[in-house]
Amino acid sequence: MTFTEIVRRFFLIDLLEGMWVTFRHQRPSDLVTEQYPMQRPDISDRFRGQPRLAKDENGKVLCTACGACALACPEKLIKVGSLRDPETKKKVLTEFDFDMGRCMFCGLCEEACPSDALSLSKGYELALYTREGMQLDRAQLERGVEGKVYDK
Amino acid sequence: MIQSILQYLHSDKTPGEAGSLFWVVVYVLLVFAGISVGVIFMNWFERKIMAHMQVRIGPMRVGPHGLLQPIADALKLIIKEDLMPANADKIVFWFAPVCVVMTAFCGFIVVPFGPTHAITDMNIGILFMLGVSSLGVLGVIMAGWASNSSYPLMGSLRSGAQMVSYEIAMSMTVVSAVMMTSMATGTGTMSMIGIVQAQMQQHTWFAFSFFPVGLTALGVFSIAMVAETNRAPFDLPEAESELVAGFLTEYSGFRWSLFFLAEYASMMAVSAIATTLWLGGWLRPFPNFLGGKNWDLAFSLVPGITFLLIAALCLFYFTKMPRIRSMRADALGLAGFGAVLGVIGLVMLLPGVRVRVQDIYWFTLKAGFFMYLYIWYRTTFPRYRFDQLMKIGWKVLLPISIGVVVMTALIGVRHELLALVWR
Repeated sequence: MTFTEIVRRFFLIDLLEGMWVTFRHQRPSDLVTEQYPMQRPDISDRFRGQPRLAKDENGKVLCTACGACALACPEKLIKVGSLRDPETKKKVLTEFDFDMGRCMFCGLCEEACPSDALSLSKGYELALYTREGMQLDRAQLERGVEGKVYDK
Repeated sequence: MIQSILQYLHSDKTPGEAGSLFWVVVYVLLVFAGISVGVIFMNWFERKIMAHMQVRIGPMRVGPHGLLQPIADALKLIIKEDLMPANADKIVFWFAPVCVVMTAFCGFIVVPFGPTHAITDMNIGILFMLGVSSLGVLGVIMAGWASNSSYPLMGSLRSGAQMVSYEIAMSMTVVSAVMMTSMATGTGTMSMIGIVQAQMQQHTWFAFSFFPVGLTALGVFSIAMVAETNRAPFDLPEAESELVAGFLTEYSGFRWSLFFLAEYASMMAVSAIATTLWLGGWLRPFPNFLGGKNWDLAFSLVPGITFLLIAALCLFYFTKMPRIRSMRADALGLAGFGAVLGVIGLVMLLPGVRVRVQDIYWFTLKAGFFMYLYIWYRTTFPRYRFDQLMKIGWKVLLPISIGVVVMTALIGVRHELLALVWR
């Protein structure tokens, strides 16, 4: 044992250093706890949460009903219904069913979408009392599922 | 009768010495209430300070900043079912928490909160305190034995071994402090009030006399007192990972809360001993060096100003509370708390009150420092193994404390001899 080690042991320097660490962390700005309902966490942009169908600035749905997402989905939980418009000869989206109860939020549908219409957004308050609520139709996907706002 | 009650107000003795039964009862009730409130606040402070040291926030929901949390906990404990194991020794099981609480509170009979603010002054005060506080181990062993279960028995055996072995190192350092009291007058004293007055006469706290002997004694005592009260990092009797909850395993509800109360009361008692023996008890900082009327006035204003500052802090955080309907009761509660503290602070500034209160204030401040140390140790240090604990007690602290006693004696004799030569 060297001299400095002996001095460190004699004066309990290691213990004092540990005490200084805990003392230092009492600063209120060091707090990491979030008080969840009052304070909202910062969600990363890469978070994959509640599925949404995006609209452009005119309120028109961006989805072209190509069905790429339904093909890409490993769980086969997306159903895209479409009609061919007789005048423009284009597909028009009629219905869009998304079974969130089976979704594993892998994000393959989001990647497959050529028109950036379908996305897994940052919404995370998705808990429900029944499974039926997990079947999202087109209107819900466009509107988004609203989380309940708690007063207390 | 009334005359004898009023007569005491003019005496400068403790009620026990003056023989005034009425004032003894009043002081006992005051001390009991004070300790209980102290335990409640200590519980809150412990949870909050521990939380902040671990970068958490601690209790926040019951009352503003969780201020009512200890009261909610106490209510919960009282209405909890009172369980007693079927094969327990009923009488001993019942008596163990009573014994622990009684011994924990008995020590406060001689604690001097001020020159007259003690229930009584015994000429063997410090001995009485050590003796009574070491009786607490009896209650712990009773609890472990009466539970008729393995974990409590193991826990209480550990606790007994630990308390007995650390008692020795603790008593040795106390001997050194008692020896120091004889320096100025030639005759030592074991009375708690006498020890503080000796520090006043010698113009130094015993922590700083015979440097570094006094400081070493305080260091040894402050380690031994943590082990003595079974607190982290020496909380082996209740080591959760090995012994569930040690001797507390079979206790629940009100009985458990009695043990809890006793633990904190004995923590306060040993903090009071450390304060009295080494940190000058009720003496304000520099009572001789900064003496005189002006300094007396300045220091006597400190308690009131402290309370006013805390009140201002409460009111400041009241303005910072989020203005939503569900927080309104909390915000008003915080403002009310601040207002009450402010009124207490203003009362403490009155001339008649401030001279009587300032001793208690300084004493509580110094003892509170040790209570803070308890929490600080608990967050910082991991628990010792049992053989390490025994090694520290017998191989490290005991030799150091014996050395402290010998050094105190040698230096004291040298002083005496020098005084003889000079005369």
